[in-house]
Amino acid sequence: MRTFRALLLTEIRNYSRDWATLFFTLLFPLIFVLLFGVLMGGIGDIDQAVVGVLVTTDADFGDELIDLLLTSGVRSVKAYTDASKLGGAVEDHVVDFGLRWDGSTLHTLYDASRLQENFAFQQLAEGIAADFDLLRQGAMTPIQVQRIHAGDVEITSWFHLVLPGILAFSVLTAGLFAVSGHLTQMKERSILDRLLVTPMRPTALLVAIAAVRLVIVFLSTLITLFVGILVFGMRFDVDWLRYCIFVVCATFGTMGMGTVIALLVKRPSSAGNIANAMAMVMLFMAGVYFPIEFMPQSLQAASRAMPLTHMAEAMRYVTGVQEMGDLRFWLTSMVFAIVGLVLFPLLARYVVKPSRR
Amino acid sequence: MTQVMHVRGLAKRYGDVRAVDGISFEVQHASLFTILGPNGAGKTTTLEMLEGIREPDAGEITILGERMRRVTRAAKQRMGVLLQDGGFEPHLKVKEVLQLFASFFDHAVSIAEILERVSMTDKAGAQVRTLSGGQRQRMAIGAALVNDPDLVFLDEPTTGLDPQARRNIWDIVANLKSRGKTLLLTTHYMEEAETLSDHVCIMDHGKIIAEGSPLELTAGLGEETLIEFRLDDPDTQTLRQLEPCCKQIRVSGSQATLETLDLRETMARLLDWSEQTSEEFHDLRIRQPNLEDVFLAFTGRKLRE
Amino acid sequence: MKDVLQLARTHVVTAFRERVTLFWFLIFPLFLLTILTLIFGQLGQEATIHFQIALINEDHAAGPESFSALIESTFVRLSAPQEDSDMPLFDLHQAPQGESASFLETELSELRRGDRAAILVIPQGFHTSVRSSFGGESSGHTLELYMTDASVTSETAAGIIEQILSGINREILIRGNAYHTEQAVEIKTEWLGQQDGKGVSYVDFILPAIILMGFFTNGLFGVPGTLLFNRDRKVLHRYWVTPVTVPRYLTGFALGHLALCVLQFALLYTLGRFAFQANVSFSNPQTILLLLLSAITFMAFGLFIAAIAKTANSGMAVANILNMPMMFLSGMFFPVAGLPTFIRIIVYANPVSYLLEGLRKSVGVQTGTLMPVQLTYLVPLAWILVSAMVASRRLRWDVDP
Repeated sequence: MRTFRALLLTEIRNYSRDWATLFFTLLFPLIFVLLFGVLMGGIGDIDQAVVGVLVTTDADFGDELIDLLLTSGVRSVKAYTDASKLGGAVEDHVVDFGLRWDGSTLHTLYDASRLQENFAFQQLAEGIAADFDLLRQGAMTPIQVQRIHAGDVEITSWFHLVLPGILAFSVLTAGLFAVSGHLTQMKERSILDRLLVTPMRPTALLVAIAAVRLVIVFLSTLITLFVGILVFGMRFDVDWLRYCIFVVCATFGTMGMGTVIALLVKRPSSAGNIANAMAMVMLFMAGVYFPIEFMPQSLQAASRAMPLTHMAEAMRYVTGVQEMGDLRFWLTSMVFAIVGLVLFPLLARYVVKPSRR
Repeated sequence: MTQVMHVRGLAKRYGDVRAVDGISFEVQHASLFTILGPNGAGKTTTLEMLEGIREPDAGEITILGERMRRVTRAAKQRMGVLLQDGGFEPHLKVKEVLQLFASFFDHAVSIAEILERVSMTDKAGAQVRTLSGGQRQRMAIGAALVNDPDLVFLDEPTTGLDPQARRNIWDIVANLKSRGKTLLLTTHYMEEAETLSDHVCIMDHGKIIAEGSPLELTAGLGEETLIEFRLDDPDTQTLRQLEPCCKQIRVSGSQATLETLDLRETMARLLDWSEQTSEEFHDLRIRQPNLEDVFLAFTGRKLRE
Repeated sequence: MKDVLQLARTHVVTAFRERVTLFWFLIFPLFLLTILTLIFGQLGQEATIHFQIALINEDHAAGPESFSALIESTFVRLSAPQEDSDMPLFDLHQAPQGESASFLETELSELRRGDRAAILVIPQGFHTSVRSSFGGESSGHTLELYMTDASVTSETAAGIIEQILSGINREILIRGNAYHTEQAVEIKTEWLGQQDGKGVSYVDFILPAIILMGFFTNGLFGVPGTLLFNRDRKVLHRYWVTPVTVPRYLTGFALGHLALCVLQFALLYTLGRFAFQANVSFSNPQTILLLLLSAITFMAFGLFIAAIAKTANSGMAVANILNMPMMFLSGMFFPVAGLPTFIRIIVYANPVSYLLEGLRKSVGVQTGTLMPVQLTYLVPLAWILVSAMVASRRLRWDVDP
């Protein structure tokens, strides 16, 4: 027990002095969150759109068009009298898109370079155009549609969905680098060899490392969550029991992943780099920033094979953002836990094996 | 020319400390000049000034007829320097390292020749990070020879190497000398200094305190013989009794060394003493003084500290 | 001259032989280009999107000629296998006979779980209500569209369903003679901010950004990493006892750096052009000038970092901290025009923003000016100047003994 306490203290001390690692695990996700929160805040949100409109003086139904715009739910409508000024406003992003009605043709103007957002603007513009078309002929809209929101939590933006993915990424990197990074570095610097000639049991060391990592992970994810809530006004409905259970299971699972890498590489120093590369690749492919459904079929299959995808899904579930089905949640958690447990003895053996010269 | 390098009044000060306190010496053509000195003697600083990486505060260096305060780029063209420590790009191959260094000089010999000279031909395509300590050092010497220099600096060339590797380096050095190169060496190893050197200078506290060929230096100690032995339990009082029968007695740990001008006399007295005091001594050795003893005599310290 | 060339060669060769460097400066940009193009390049192209939706028609009583039936058959048609190999837009789920009550509940939980994108319910009496709206008696009847804004898929599907219903609306009106196609409003789409008025393909938009990202990573990480590593491991120490000087070393280093940038450009351009049909051309003089300026700016910045960091580790830490903000707050991947003012300051101070916009404008994928035009060159040049000054004062070329 004394050994364990000593190991624990050493681990904690190591961690707090190695401020590069500390940065990565605590601050990095935070910067991510702040950056993406700010950047993605407005994507896909029609109610944040600013529309510029120009009605030529002899065009009919001009006022009705503007009324239609004002009631369509956009943030604001700017009226122009000069066509080139309207065009300039679109290009300079003063307005998100423009409408020019000359009595017979409705021109929709977009900035071609806003490739990620025009999709949503086009849908909006086409909807307004369709309504205007009917309005002008005095036709009623016989079929009306009412959107009923089935979800529980009020989602404020696309970013609301991204944040749990960032939490998942924190957990991934914490567990992965605990082994393929921290432990492999200890092996490379022969620190492990020196520890092993003492009565220390490898299990004690591993538990100490895991314990410290878990604390860091909880700290980091909680800070990130609170930043989301305080700075961006997001609301989450966190199921704390499932949250804690999943974080623990996932940390063990990702430590298992790190073990696989450490066992397969020739040089311990490569393990950290490979883990880093894998984490980066997964970050883009795991449906954190855009839904998997938007990927081509081949990529979707690849995405579903990645652990981070399922971790993100689970984190969305435990923060109350998206439903997942309780059964599937427990299954996912168990898989991660089992991976970690099965690989644990292999990891212990890795620790004990003398370094190759 | 007979003098390849001439140093006069070289000095370097760090604040109040005079690291090098106005030294002068000459290095003759096709000879091996060794600088010996304990740590802090000013040896390293002297060498750095001669290598051109440190600016002297005073003095004059003449290399191959050219006078200068700080070693010039032109002088470097004709010098080869093996540093005590320094790295190489780990992912470069041996021949690429040599090509790189060769490109730094106006005139360079063929890489194949250098590889041959340092016995690294079969390792030409190996990356630096795969080399052993000895191989790396041989490559480093090769890098110091790419420009076929007339003057070569070897700063502790065999430190940290195993005996076999050390011998390889000695062969290279001997070969260089036989080809008419002038060499400046620093070392911790007495055998190296004794075996290789033509001329030795001993530095301490920034000054040269002794100079000469190894033979001259040891002869300077006088016609004495040394008797060395080990005692189980050295007792100062008992040992004091030996003082009158020899020139000087030194004790270091369990080892005692008697300096004497009359071997037979001292040996007899020693045996008497042993019988009288019932002290037993082991590992008796009788030898001539060597550079280590010279060093000790002048500086009061051992070579390797 | 040959020493400069050899030093440049060393720089390039070692970059290739270090697997880590190779990954980050070559493989990762290629990967990113591929992923982003594959995903965003087809946003809005419905041929590749496929939604799981459910339809509940509670108005069976109205009969097969009713509006309710019309709506239902439209969606059935849209979920049938297409003639061409494209996947149908929808996978339609409908209640088995006589179980519509519990069906909605199951479907709602599927919706919440993300296994359904949307549920459309045609309420009972829909047809009658719509019919009477023609006579002005009521204002039509409302369909219920269940969706969740927790999912972009759901939002998108809802939007598409609304569009389809809008089309059906028109159909109904035409049949009822309340709408005349000849008088329809003509809709014309104009793509601004682009030279030939056509739309911009995603790969044309993102390729200049990724190339710039490659140069940026090279300068931010590669330059201080290599330099500090070589200094701290005393590789440079060995050079300074030979005739080679710092200016010559730096020239060789810069040449090597530029060679790596050229290589990055070549590979990314080839991938973009031949795998993703990028149209954009980099051959005009202004573009080449901007690319060169970018490579130099980022290298200078790397020297700046090497000058302010004490060791290789702290240099890399600084690089990591600066990496994301500088890359993302420049307009590379996300638009930066609508950001709050205090963040916009960073955008305006960031040389990447100017170089990126200048590059995109010179290849013709953007004409809007978010930055004042004159600053496109001035700001990066200012950064080069400042970096050079700091580096020449503070960058140490040898470890102190």
